[in-house]
Amino acid sequence: MMNTATDKKEEFSVLEERKDSILYKYEGGCSGTGIRCDSDSVSGAVSQRACVYCGARVVLNPITDAFHIVHGPIGCASYTWDIRGSLSSGEEIYRNSFSTDLREKDVIFGGERKLEAGIEEIALKYHPRLLFVYATCIVGVIGDDVDAVCKSMSKKYDMQVIPVKSPGFSGNKATGYKMACNAIMQLLLPYKNREKRNGINILGDFNLAGEMWIIKNYMKEIGIDVVATFTGDSSYENMIKAPAARLNIVQCAGSSTYLANRMQEEMDIPYIKVSFFGIEDTTNSLLRIAGAMKDEKALQKAEEFCNRKARELEGFLETYKKGLEGKRAAVYVGGGFKAISLIRQFKSLGMKTVLVGTQTGKPEDYEVIESIAEKDTVILDDANPAELEKFMIEKKPDILVGGVKERPLAYKLGIAFCDHNHERKHPLAGFEGVINFTKEISDGILNPVWKYVRQ
Amino acid sequence: MKKTNIEPLVNMNVNPCKMCMPMGAVTAFYGIEKCISILHGSQGCSTYIRRHMATHYNEPVDIASSSLTEQGTVYGGERNLIKGLNNLIRLYHPEVVGVATTCLAETIGEDLPRMIHNFYEEYPEYKEIKIIPVNSPGYGGTQFEGYFRALHSILENVDLQTEKNEKINVILSPMSPKDVRFIRNSFRLFGLDAIIFPDLSDNLDGGFSDKYERLPQKGTSLKDISLMGGAKVTIEISNLNMADSPGRFLEKNYHVPYERINLPAGIRDIDRLYEVLSAISGRPVMESVKEERSRYMDAMVDAHKYNGEGRAVIFGEPDFILATVRLCAENGIFPVVCASGSVNGDLKDIVEKEIEEMAECYHIDRYEIMDDVDFKKIESLAKELKANILIGNSDGRRMEEELKIPLIRRGFPIHDRAGGQRLATLGYEGALQFLDEITNGILSKKETTFRTIIFKEYYKEKDCPEAKIMEYQDFAKAKREELERKTKNHPCFGDCGNGFARIHLPVAPKCNIQCNYCVRKFDCPNESRPGVTSTVLTPMEALEKYKAVKEKVPNLTVVGIAGPGDALANFEETKGTLELIREYDKEVTFCLSTNGLMLPNYANELCDLGVSHVTVTMNAADISIGAQIYKYANYNGMKLEGESAAAVLMANQLSGLRMLVARGIICKVNIVAIKGINDAHIPEIVKQVKDIGCFMTNIMPCIQVKGSAFENLPTICNKELNELRNKCSGTMKQMYHCRQCRADAIGTLDQDISIQFAGCNGIKGKDNKAEAFYRFAVASKSGIIIDQHFGHAKEFYIYEYRQKNVNFIEKRSIHKYCEGFEECGDQENKIQQIMKAIEDCDGVIALRTGEAPKKQMESKGIKVISTYDIIEEAIKKAAVAML
Repeated sequence: MMNTATDKKEEFSVLEERKDSILYKYEGGCSGTGIRCDSDSVSGAVSQRACVYCGARVVLNPITDAFHIVHGPIGCASYTWDIRGSLSSGEEIYRNSFSTDLREKDVIFGGERKLEAGIEEIALKYHPRLLFVYATCIVGVIGDDVDAVCKSMSKKYDMQVIPVKSPGFSGNKATGYKMACNAIMQLLLPYKNREKRNGINILGDFNLAGEMWIIKNYMKEIGIDVVATFTGDSSYENMIKAPAARLNIVQCAGSSTYLANRMQEEMDIPYIKVSFFGIEDTTNSLLRIAGAMKDEKALQKAEEFCNRKARELEGFLETYKKGLEGKRAAVYVGGGFKAISLIRQFKSLGMKTVLVGTQTGKPEDYEVIESIAEKDTVILDDANPAELEKFMIEKKPDILVGGVKERPLAYKLGIAFCDHNHERKHPLAGFEGVINFTKEISDGILNPVWKYVRQ
Repeated sequence: MKKTNIEPLVNMNVNPCKMCMPMGAVTAFYGIEKCISILHGSQGCSTYIRRHMATHYNEPVDIASSSLTEQGTVYGGERNLIKGLNNLIRLYHPEVVGVATTCLAETIGEDLPRMIHNFYEEYPEYKEIKIIPVNSPGYGGTQFEGYFRALHSILENVDLQTEKNEKINVILSPMSPKDVRFIRNSFRLFGLDAIIFPDLSDNLDGGFSDKYERLPQKGTSLKDISLMGGAKVTIEISNLNMADSPGRFLEKNYHVPYERINLPAGIRDIDRLYEVLSAISGRPVMESVKEERSRYMDAMVDAHKYNGEGRAVIFGEPDFILATVRLCAENGIFPVVCASGSVNGDLKDIVEKEIEEMAECYHIDRYEIMDDVDFKKIESLAKELKANILIGNSDGRRMEEELKIPLIRRGFPIHDRAGGQRLATLGYEGALQFLDEITNGILSKKETTFRTIIFKEYYKEKDCPEAKIMEYQDFAKAKREELERKTKNHPCFGDCGNGFARIHLPVAPKCNIQCNYCVRKFDCPNESRPGVTSTVLTPMEALEKYKAVKEKVPNLTVVGIAGPGDALANFEETKGTLELIREYDKEVTFCLSTNGLMLPNYANELCDLGVSHVTVTMNAADISIGAQIYKYANYNGMKLEGESAAAVLMANQLSGLRMLVARGIICKVNIVAIKGINDAHIPEIVKQVKDIGCFMTNIMPCIQVKGSAFENLPTICNKELNELRNKCSGTMKQMYHCRQCRADAIGTLDQDISIQFAGCNGIKGKDNKAEAFYRFAVASKSGIIIDQHFGHAKEFYIYEYRQKNVNFIEKRSIHKYCEGFEECGDQENKIQQIMKAIEDCDGVIALRTGEAPKKQMESKGIKVISTYDIIEEAIKKAAVAML
């Protein structure tokens, strides 16, 4: 049996048009009616979502030696300047924010000239190989032809200037992912006929806190060669080798499946999806990669390696589980898969997830969430602060997993918080990540402050 | 790490030192009681601003968005905004709503007042709610201008009463909640009834309580704002806001006199604040304040010498820069760069007045004051003008990292440290905290760098000996670590059962001595002892064999040459083999075993070949005992017998070992314990080789081989052997896990797998007989868990279950099995395509499967399973169920 959450009369926290996006899980499973999701945000509801530009920037920004130019007024550049934890082993150009900083007069007379002059200056000074030009909200409206500028500059200076059409209003974050994937394809297509070699590309990992490095270490451990990475710790030279790979593995499916599909169709590289969150996912993913590469030796190594790692973690997990047994978690994250993965990780720690929400989950994600969630769990799509507040008060979680916007709300309600977003500075992927995640959850929940402030 | 040094650009902003107008507008609205704001524009604007504010203030920040879409952009966003206002009001029940425009709304020409008018028409029940529009295009200025634009709009839109009252209007420049509280309390202290406008101190630095209020409850009330038109006087604590001065507005329209003062951080400006307070209230400055002032002055004197070395970069909003420059100027901290991201025509003139005089005292002729500037420019100037302290918001952290100069954090945003909302800058106490931090920053920079700077400048004794020593030490350390690692991963030299494997390549058939216990003519695969091999390989064959084995035995770490004769009696073969393998594999450890007769001749060459581990079998350190063990030795064309053979052998063993040890080779000495011959003498051998510097000894029992001279000697039993080893373990490390292996052994010590590799290349197929074997097709979107309906699947993951293992085989796209568009168009045929794609499977696992396809599949003997498990788990369960 499934009911909408607002059957109860209480303080107004849920808008009429939001009711279909909220579910209570009752015993006995699913009604099959599902949740309303994958739709536009409701105006005025204080969505936690970002915009098209944000999606594009998230995917492309980790490319370390590219010049990332934001064509538009300053805000978009300012709010995205070097705020994420993507690390580099080489260039650090990506940590700078370049912007045309459009002003009143540019809005009236157009910003094309300014963009062109800026690109020329960069070209003459640094002779770069790769530039991305992000067109934000008003660029199209004021009639700038960004494509034309990029084309002429590419030709004139023999470099790749790739336009990323990302006006904020033209869809949601997922549209931005797609725009970024198209930009990457534009970069790769000239090299699409490379001779294949025995190696893989890693897609959808952004090297937050060195997670790409952890995954690459695993590949080395099991003897699988990595050709190129998208886009964590990547560079122009590294990326254009990608068409030579035999297989793509896709870690953040939400952002990069579109790229994997295009590479499959246009470069004949099959892909598999993987996840490195939790012991189970990591182990299964490594075995699956070895299997997909038809590499017996790698399969054997992967098995040995994962068994060893899992054994090493046994004692640690036992110790920590004692304190976490029966604790309650709330999850509000970007995509459906991450939410599902977190519910499972909490389960493996003996915890119960009492509230689950995502910004951009798909109907089938919610179906799985419904299936694995325990009785009385609240499930929300594109929730706003008022709803999060209402249900956190009602469900009394011990910890909320989310992005930094949600942190102060959790704290105000006396709830611990775990940042599972892009600003963190410790890896949560792989076996190393299991340790960090477990510690963060445990240390957060069992921190002494709660004893004194929750009366 | 190769890094491009990015310099400032003329035509582009590199690393913005500013944010946008809507940010400032929203901040101002946070100082109004029961007010919530909405941005008219794309969803991203409000999300980004919320993130920035939430991380600075550490408070929940709720800002709505009208979430303009493509359609709204083309046809106007009025519907979005009206709907957004309605939703927002229902959720938050505000008394005031701030509506701020964004770049997009302004560019498409949205008319806010008209839309608000229409909103009231449509929702007359909300007439009581004050909705205030602000034109704040992101390109129109920075957050500083947006903040004052919003204050101005509030005054324009609220009905101000003109009737005179006793209130004092206090207009605040953007400042931390802590500083707002200071100002508020100062007016109270003088008994003044001040309207703090805006007062964000509680809403953005709230307490922790049982009940959380999602609508900001504190701040300047609408009622107070309405009284501002009749106030006695306006004190505007801001001198550099240009276009939208609320004080000027109130004077012009309501004849409220106004005075502008600087942010009270420097002593002159704090004094001025108290003068004003005293003048308006008619009360003298309190003793407690005077005491604060006196402590402030005392601190100025105490720190002036440290501060005198300060070369500061000051950046941020114009009012903050002016106040900080004045504070620095009073304390002898010289501002070499003053920079604002805002466009501000007055900044340079006003600030320059402060710096000029100081520049003269310090004889400094270069400093920069700039507006409309980015961080790259500030960074390059800071470097050029040798700044040693940065003062401004957290966005200066890249400069701090790059230039290694301390950043004293003040202003907005502070998102990389805690407590940004509680940073104090104003009043004697607040400013003193600020000043102390600056002083300490200057001190810490000096304390942590002066030794190196002075050393580099004045120490000229040798040309950089430090670096050379370091370089050598690093190299030696790396070598040592490599050797340690190789030793650890060596099945014989490392710990027992470390799980690593070795291969012995039988390339050395000849021997140059005859031991009385040895016969080398045996080849029986089941016999295992030194000197035995099935075949002798050429160096090329040895390489091929190595490749074949390496392929199958991943934990192979060591290549050894152990006969069947003596490695050094066949030096050309040994050398050839090692060279070929080294070319193929740079990593593998080379190990060699010898009787040591030729060791002095080849010791250096072995090192050059990359041999890192050598075993010498040395059964005697006494000539007479040696003569009983060795029958003869062929040395340099001579056949030596008896004691002369033993003497030459012993001398060469010892000097060879010395040479190896000197070159850092790890040496093991094998001693064959022969009962009644050398068993009592063994501790003496151990002692001698220990003194040379060998790594370990391996005492092993003599194997009585039929046909050898010793075939009838009694065997040394295990107990005796271990007693012997234990006794010697006091002298040096003993090997306890020797398996006395063959000259063609492969594998770990406990598991010789050489038979598998007999015939050199390739491994014989494993036993493929499986207890259970099933193939499954899995419908999955994530590829990790079963999360797709059968009918929605465009592809299937194919897995095999074999001997309790689950192996991923491939992904099959059903598209490939489609025979033309028409056929694939309808649902019925789609199922046919799926069937074709998976007909070789024993089971199908999906989130859910319709009844029709389920029947079809079951009729073909394909089992259908519905679950939402992890793929691997689901398959295991399904296979068990099918068994």
